[in-house]
Amino acid sequence: MGTQVKDVIIKPDAPSTLLLDKHADYIAAYGSKKDDYEYTLSEYLRMSGIYWGLTVMDLMGQLPRMNRQEIVDFIKSCQHECGGVSASIGHDPHLLYTLSAVQILCLYDNVDALDVDKVVEYIKGLQQEDGSFAGDKWGEIDTRFSFCAVATLALLGKIDSINVDKAVEFVLSCMNFDGGFGCRPGSESHAGQIYCCSGFLSLTGQLHQVNADLLGWWLCERQLPSGGLNGRPEKLPDVCYSWWVLASLKIIGRIHWIDKAKLRSFILACQDEETGGFADRPGDMVDPFHTLFGVAGLSLLGDEQVKAVNPVLCMPEDVLQRIDLQPDILS
Amino acid sequence: MHGRVKVKSTAQQEEEKRKEREKKLKIYVAARDACFSKRKEGVWDDGALQITQQLLSSNPDFGTLWNYRREILMHLETVKDEDEVQKIYEAELSFLESCLKVNPKSYGSWHHRGWVSTRLPRPDWARELGLCDRCLNLDDRNFHCWDYRRMVVKKSGVPVDRELAFTDRLIGSNFSNYSSWHYRSTLLPLLHPESPEPLPSPRRPPPRSSPPASPQNHSHRVCEAQLLKEYELVQNAFFTDPNDQSAWFYYRWLLGRAEREEMISCVLVSREEETVTVAFSRPVDPGGLMLLLDGQPQTVEWRSVHPRFKHSPVWICDLPPGTISDVTNEHNLTVHWMERHAHRDCALYTGRTESWCRDSATDQELFRSELSVEKTSVLQSELQSCKQLQELEPLNKWCLLTIILLMRALDPLGYEKETLAHFQTLREVDLMRSAYYSDLCSKFMIENTVLKMEYAEVRVFSISDKKLTTLCHLDQLLLVTHMNLSSNQLQRLPPQFSMLQCLEVLEAENNSIEDLEGVFHLPRLEEVLLKNNKISTLADLRPLASCPKLKRLDLRGNPVSGLEEVEAALTELLPSVVDLLL
Repeated sequence: MGTQVKDVIIKPDAPSTLLLDKHADYIAAYGSKKDDYEYTLSEYLRMSGIYWGLTVMDLMGQLPRMNRQEIVDFIKSCQHECGGVSASIGHDPHLLYTLSAVQILCLYDNVDALDVDKVVEYIKGLQQEDGSFAGDKWGEIDTRFSFCAVATLALLGKIDSINVDKAVEFVLSCMNFDGGFGCRPGSESHAGQIYCCSGFLSLTGQLHQVNADLLGWWLCERQLPSGGLNGRPEKLPDVCYSWWVLASLKIIGRIHWIDKAKLRSFILACQDEETGGFADRPGDMVDPFHTLFGVAGLSLLGDEQVKAVNPVLCMPEDVLQRIDLQPDILS
Repeated sequence: MHGRVKVKSTAQQEEEKRKEREKKLKIYVAARDACFSKRKEGVWDDGALQITQQLLSSNPDFGTLWNYRREILMHLETVKDEDEVQKIYEAELSFLESCLKVNPKSYGSWHHRGWVSTRLPRPDWARELGLCDRCLNLDDRNFHCWDYRRMVVKKSGVPVDRELAFTDRLIGSNFSNYSSWHYRSTLLPLLHPESPEPLPSPRRPPPRSSPPASPQNHSHRVCEAQLLKEYELVQNAFFTDPNDQSAWFYYRWLLGRAEREEMISCVLVSREEETVTVAFSRPVDPGGLMLLLDGQPQTVEWRSVHPRFKHSPVWICDLPPGTISDVTNEHNLTVHWMERHAHRDCALYTGRTESWCRDSATDQELFRSELSVEKTSVLQSELQSCKQLQELEPLNKWCLLTIILLMRALDPLGYEKETLAHFQTLREVDLMRSAYYSDLCSKFMIENTVLKMEYAEVRVFSISDKKLTTLCHLDQLLLVTHMNLSSNQLQRLPPQFSMLQCLEVLEAENNSIEDLEGVFHLPRLEEVLLKNNKISTLADLRPLASCPKLKRLDLRGNPVSGLEEVEAALTELLPSVVDLLL
C-alpha cells in the first residue's frame, strides 16, 4: 500500500537545447491553417490563440513575421455594441477575449483600434455586488475574471473605474487553508487561479495580504522528481504550469524555492524537434498555448535568448515599460 | 489541448486521417454556419436546439452556442406552460449529463447546468446531489463538480454535518483526497466554531463586526475539542499511507495558529531626530492615525521607511522642530489608531533622549501560542508517533517537516538543536526544495533569537553562524541598536531592513551580500562591517549615502574594493565616513 507519485519520465534523447527558430516557424505557419479541423474547433478562443502566438513571437523577437493589419482589423470587427470583445466574428463578447484583445493591441501600440470607453463600461457592468466579476452577461463567476477585469483596466490606465476595494474583498474571500486560491469562495486551490489572484493582488497593490511563505511552500511542492510542475497535488506535470506556478512564485518573491535547472530540463524536453512548438509534456502534441508558456517559463528562469517577460501580465517587459505599467512584486 | 499523445503513422495512414478530418471539418463548418445564421435571423425553435446540441456534444467549450441555447430556452419559457417548461429543462439536464460524461471538465457545461437548475420550475436538488456523487466517484478531484456540489448544497440547505460525513467517507476510501480535506477545512469552522474572543483591552481592539478575510484559512476558528479529534483523523491517514501528501498539508494547517490581531506593537519617541515611530502587527495603511502630544492633536504626515513599501508595518512621522527637543521637559504622547479604536501611550521623561513602549514577543504570542494542558499532551504524543514513523521511513520528507513543526508548536527554544539537525536531513532528503528549507530554518532561528532577547538585552540582536539565507520579522527589531549577522549565507539586506530605525552598528562579515537596498535612511547608523561579502559596484553602495551618521565602513574582501579609484569615489559618495577599510 502506498501512493505512487504521479510523474513523467524524461527520455535521455529528449531535446535539451532551445529550438527557437523551429518554434518561430511553427507559430508563423499556424495562422494559415484555416482548413485545419483542430484550428476550426478552437475558433471559440481565437482571440486568446492570437495573443498566445503573438506574445511568444515577440518574446523570440519575431513579431514582424505576423500580419499586423489583418489582426488589428480582426479585433475591430470583434468589438460588440456593449463594448466587450468576442473570440472571433459571430461569437459573443467575454472578459477573457476582451483582455486578450487589449493585450494584443498593446503589443502593437494600437489600443485606439478599440472604443476604450466602451470597453471600460463593459467591464464595469460585469462587477457584482460582492465585488466579484462575471465573465459575461450570463453570470459565471470566477476569480479568473477578476484578473481579466483589472488586467485589462490596468493596461488601459483605468483601474479606478471599478470598486477596487470590493473586488479585493472578493478575491481574498477565495483564499484557502493552504494559502492558495480557487475559482470562487470555498473552491480548491489551483495554480491557474493562484496566478490570477496573485496577479490581481499585484495590480491592486494588495500583495501584502498574501501569506507568501505558506503559498510559496504549496507552490514549490508542485515540482515533481522529473523537474516539471503540476497544478495541484497528485496531478501530472504540464509545461503550462511552468508559467502559472513560476509566475506566481516570482510575484510573491519566492521563485528561488524551486530547482531551476531541473525545471529548465523539463521544459526543454517538451519541445517537438520535428514540428517545432511545445507540448504539455514530452511526447505529446504541440500547440501555441503550451508554446507560449514554455518559452515564457524559460524567460522567467533567466534564459537570455528570450526577451524578459512580465510575470503579472505575461507580456514582454519592454511593452509594459513603454506604457509605464510596473505592477508590484514582493521582494 | 492536454494529454494528446503524438502517434507516429505511415504516409498512407496520414493521408487517410487527412481525408477523414477534411470530411469532419466540412460537416462541422456547415453546422456552425447554420447555427450562426439561424441566430442572426432570430430563430428560437426546436430545430435550433437540435443543431446546437449536435455541435455542443462534441465541442462543449463553444460558449456562444450555450448562450444561444439559453436565449432559446428563455423564449420558450414565455410561450409554454409550466409543465412543458419543466419537461424542456429536464431534457436539457439529460443532454447536459451526456455532455458531462464525455467531458466532465468543461466550464461551459457546468455553468449551463447551474443556470438550468435555477430556472427549473420544480428543481430536484437530490438528483443534482446524486449526479455529484456519481461524478466524484469517478474522479474525486474534479473541481468543477465540487464547486457545483457546493452550489447545490447551498441552494438546497444540506446540513453541514452531512457534508462533513460525506468527506469522511471519501477520505476513508480514497488516496487522492486533497479536494476532500480542502472541503473539510471549510466545513469545520462552520460546524465547530471556536469559543468567543477574549475581552478587549485598550491595547487590543474589540473584535470587528464585519467578517474578516475568509474563514477558510484560520484553523484556530475551530473549537479545541474538535481540533484535537481532527488531529487523530489526520494522523490515521498519514500513518496508513505516509506518501499521501494531502493529509500532511492539512495537518500543517491544523498546527497553524491564530492570525495576529491587528494592533500597535511598539511606539518609539526620539528627541534627537524629533520623530515618532509606530510599529504595527501587520502591514497597514496609515490613514486614520492620530498623534496627541500632551493632549494636543498634532498635524503630522506619516511616511513609510522605504519608498518600495506602500503597506509597511512601520511608519514614522516628524514632529515640528523644537516640540520635544528640550530634554528638561517631560511629555506624554498618545498614538490613536482610529479605525481599530486602539491607542498606545508613551511617556518621555526628563533627562531621557528617547522612550518607547512595546509588547514583548511572548506577550504578543508572536511565535508560539499558549497551549492548553490537553493540547500539549496531544501534540507531544503526536511528536513521538512521528518520530517512530521517521525511523521506519527515513526518506519521508513530510514526516521530517512535520516533526519540526510539532517541535515549534511545543517548545521552539528547547528543541532548537534538534530542529537544526532535522533541517539538515531535510535538505538532503528533498534536494529540490533545499532553498525553501534553508529560508524556513532561517525564519525559525530568527524567531528564537527574538524570543531569547526577551530574557536578555532587547537592543542587541545577534545571530551568527546559523546558515541564515533570509531575513524576516524585521518589524520586531525597531529598538535594536547592535546587530550581528556575521558568518551566514545572506545575499541581500532587503527594503524591510530599513525598519531598524535605532540601528547603530551592523556586523555582517562573511556573508554573500551584494544588495544593500534596505540600509536606507537609518538615522543612527554609524558602523557597517561588510568584510568578505559580494559587493561589486559603486552603485551597490548608494543606499549608504542616505545614512547621515555613517562613520566606519569595512569593505575588505569585496570585489568593489579592488576597483580602480574606488577610494576617491567612496569619499565623494559617503563624506561622513572617516574610517574606511578596503
